[in-house]
Amino acid sequence: MNMAALSEAQSFQPAVHPDDKSEAMLRLLTCGSVDDGKSTLIGRLLWDAAGVTDDQRAAILHASHARAVNGERIDFSLLLDGLVAEREQGITIDIAWRYFETERRRFVIIDSPGHEQYTRNMATGASHADIAILLVDARHGVKRQTRRHAAICNLVGIKKVILAVNKMDQIDWSEERYRAIESDFRGIAGNFSFSDIVSIPVAALTGANVVARSVEMPWYDGPTLLEYLESVEARTEPLDAPFRMPVQLVLRASNDFRGYAGTVTSGTIRVGDRVVDARSGLGATLVRIATMDGDLESASSGDAVTLVLDTDLDISRGAVLTETQRRPTNADVLEARLVWLSEKPFDPEAGYLLRSATDLTPVTSMSVSALIDFETLASAQAHDCGMNDIADCRILLGRSTALDLFAELPLTGNFVLVNAIDGATVAGGVITWVQTGAAAVGDNVLVLDRARLSGLCADLGDSPDDRAEYERRAQEVAILLRSAGVPVLIDTDR
Amino acid sequence: MTALTSHLKLLEAESIHIFREAAAQFRAPVLLYSIGKDSTVLLHLARKAFWPAKPPFPLLHVDTTWKFQDMIAFRDRTVSEMGLDLIVHTNHDGLAKNINPFDHPPSVYTDIMKTQALRQALDAGGFDAAFGGARRDEEASRAKERVFSFRASGHSWDPRLQRPEMWQLLNGRLGKDETVRVFPLSNWTEADVWRYITLEELDVVPLYFAKERLTVERDGQILMADDERMRLLPGEEPRLRKIRFRTLGCYPLTAAIESDAIRLDEVVTETLEARVSERAGRLIDHDQAGAMEMKKREGYF
Ligand SMILES: Nc1nc2c(ncn2[C@@H]2O[C@H](COP(=O)(O)OP(=O)(O)O)[C@@H](O)[C@H]2O)c(=O)[nH]1
Ligand SMILES: [Mg+2]
Repeated sequence: MNMAALSEAQSFQPAVHPDDKSEAMLRLLTCGSVDDGKSTLIGRLLWDAAGVTDDQRAAILHASHARAVNGERIDFSLLLDGLVAEREQGITIDIAWRYFETERRRFVIIDSPGHEQYTRNMATGASHADIAILLVDARHGVKRQTRRHAAICNLVGIKKVILAVNKMDQIDWSEERYRAIESDFRGIAGNFSFSDIVSIPVAALTGANVVARSVEMPWYDGPTLLEYLESVEARTEPLDAPFRMPVQLVLRASNDFRGYAGTVTSGTIRVGDRVVDARSGLGATLVRIATMDGDLESASSGDAVTLVLDTDLDISRGAVLTETQRRPTNADVLEARLVWLSEKPFDPEAGYLLRSATDLTPVTSMSVSALIDFETLASAQAHDCGMNDIADCRILLGRSTALDLFAELPLTGNFVLVNAIDGATVAGGVITWVQTGAAAVGDNVLVLDRARLSGLCADLGDSPDDRAEYERRAQEVAILLRSAGVPVLIDTDR
Repeated sequence: MTALTSHLKLLEAESIHIFREAAAQFRAPVLLYSIGKDSTVLLHLARKAFWPAKPPFPLLHVDTTWKFQDMIAFRDRTVSEMGLDLIVHTNHDGLAKNINPFDHPPSVYTDIMKTQALRQALDAGGFDAAFGGARRDEEASRAKERVFSFRASGHSWDPRLQRPEMWQLLNGRLGKDETVRVFPLSNWTEADVWRYITLEELDVVPLYFAKERLTVERDGQILMADDERMRLLPGEEPRLRKIRFRTLGCYPLTAAIESDAIRLDEVVTETLEARVSERAGRLIDHDQAGAMEMKKREGYF
């Protein structure tokens, strides 16, 4: 497309919209292997769907001509690849976030890098998306990195996938080739729990089937990419999910105000309902949902609120408030599937912390049991894992914390592992199994509490530092006892 | 009660979540308050996040001494009305050397009076986290930034080494000598900010509304002669034009647009219909390609 044709093609649409669109915002990820055309596809989508301002257009045209990467063509990837190093090398290093709206919908687009070495950035992007566009170069078909990205999308909870078979211009718009790639991918997708898979043949560079319908592929009668994106349902909150609110902060103010601040991660709570602290099992009645805009009668998933209870539960950040019936597990053992993000491989001797919802819990021991093979997508037994691997593991916690299964309640069933020394986020994981040490052994459990440890901890008072030290000592004792076969539970006295 | 749209409610809740996470995880946060529309929204969200308590951190304004007079008046009125703590910091070395936007190129001026000044203020206050009103939709390198943006010693940003940030989980554990910039408005667009200001009925600096103001036209940009320090080029004659600003900063480096928008709804409509991005009015960003990224690498917020 030359410049003259281009300015003609842009019929100006005023970007004024009614305040609220009927459909929820859609968070969209692009992924797939290097050079399959992710950035170009998104650039093209923004360009054609009026997501680009005049000065940005001028800058892109200017830079494209200077580089002449595609002869007369515009380099759409420049709309996304905003870092100096990315432009110099013509690659995507980190995810780019773009926001745009059409007449029908708001979009957040997350463009991710294809290089294996930047998989951690792709995983970051994927965890924020409702739907993924997985790109495949029509000349090469599905690659190892395509399978890895599909597996990561699946791990972080994406349910809807669009297979975009790109660069159809390079294979003479061949239906046969397209169908072969499509069926190859559908075979692979059988390994995952995606609920919706659609596939669309496109050419990002020419715009075929992106916003405008392709004239070159009359055999394709499905939606264009934009048509599909404008109509697909974003996310479905299960009705009647159990109530959870991880406590972020305890807010205190004058006239005895004391409230638990947090974001409701699932379900609904109403004034007058009973709530329970999942760790201690202590309950209270909700008397007030306080916000600066006035008190609310109820709060639901996604609301950032402050809850005031009729009795003081003596809890702090890290606690999870739950409904009385369907509670999270107060767990100290869990199994999870995780994606390893750090350049340093998993080290059983290193100190890790488990960051779940608002809690930070020391990991006592961790072991890897299996790795996903990105050729076959089968799990194979393993004991190590390194950067960009997807692994199954078992984690023993230094004390119990309230956890759910990711498949049931994602926001209280996910976690990241943190290196205790340098603070780095080394892995992101989803919980597949949890258990309470105490629950497993019934009444025989030995509870380590302050009374029982009064001798060992005689020098410790009630300050936060002393409580932490108490917790550490109790943990050491617990490890010794457990290794001698004595089932123990720590009462952290928080 | 306000009637926010479901979209804005979602953004608001996400920002409040971020404020609370940062306040819980960092020892000494500070809020970078730059007086414009984004700071106005940022401050409002900070108040909501901790209400009925006050935000548990002070505000910091890096004053280059070249801000519009209306901005300073608005700043002082806001903090006194809300009863907040404000730290104002100016780079006195730079001032002593008379670093100014007329005699020095924008990159030099910005580095000394903004970036270095900010680093001085953060170090002096011992702050380990600074909230900023930056949005990912502002500029291509900002579009790459995390919500918790880690800075190595010297406050430098390395875009190749950003920490993974998965789901709603914000890991604020700092390594040695690290500090963090926190961006609660990451996912807001310019349009969202204006719609929110409208629905929440927030007060903004009057410069956002059209009025007859004394201006000169230079290199195709309209500049406002805000005080007697404005230097005129030979042949330039200041005259009254009906103008307003889409973004606010140092007056010699901030271009105005001609406009008749005097009410908030008119400003919103004009912004949503604009065919150029708001950055087009910031002279410092055009100085060189990748200018914003360079500034961020050096510790700009
Ligand atoms: N012929 C052709 N080339 C394409 C198409 N889409 C992308 N490309 C080119 O493929 C190369 C890689 O594109 P890019 O978007 O950077 O790929 P990414 O690594 O997946 O983001 C660039 O040279 C693009 O111009 C297409 O539909 N047809
Ligand atoms: Mg790319």
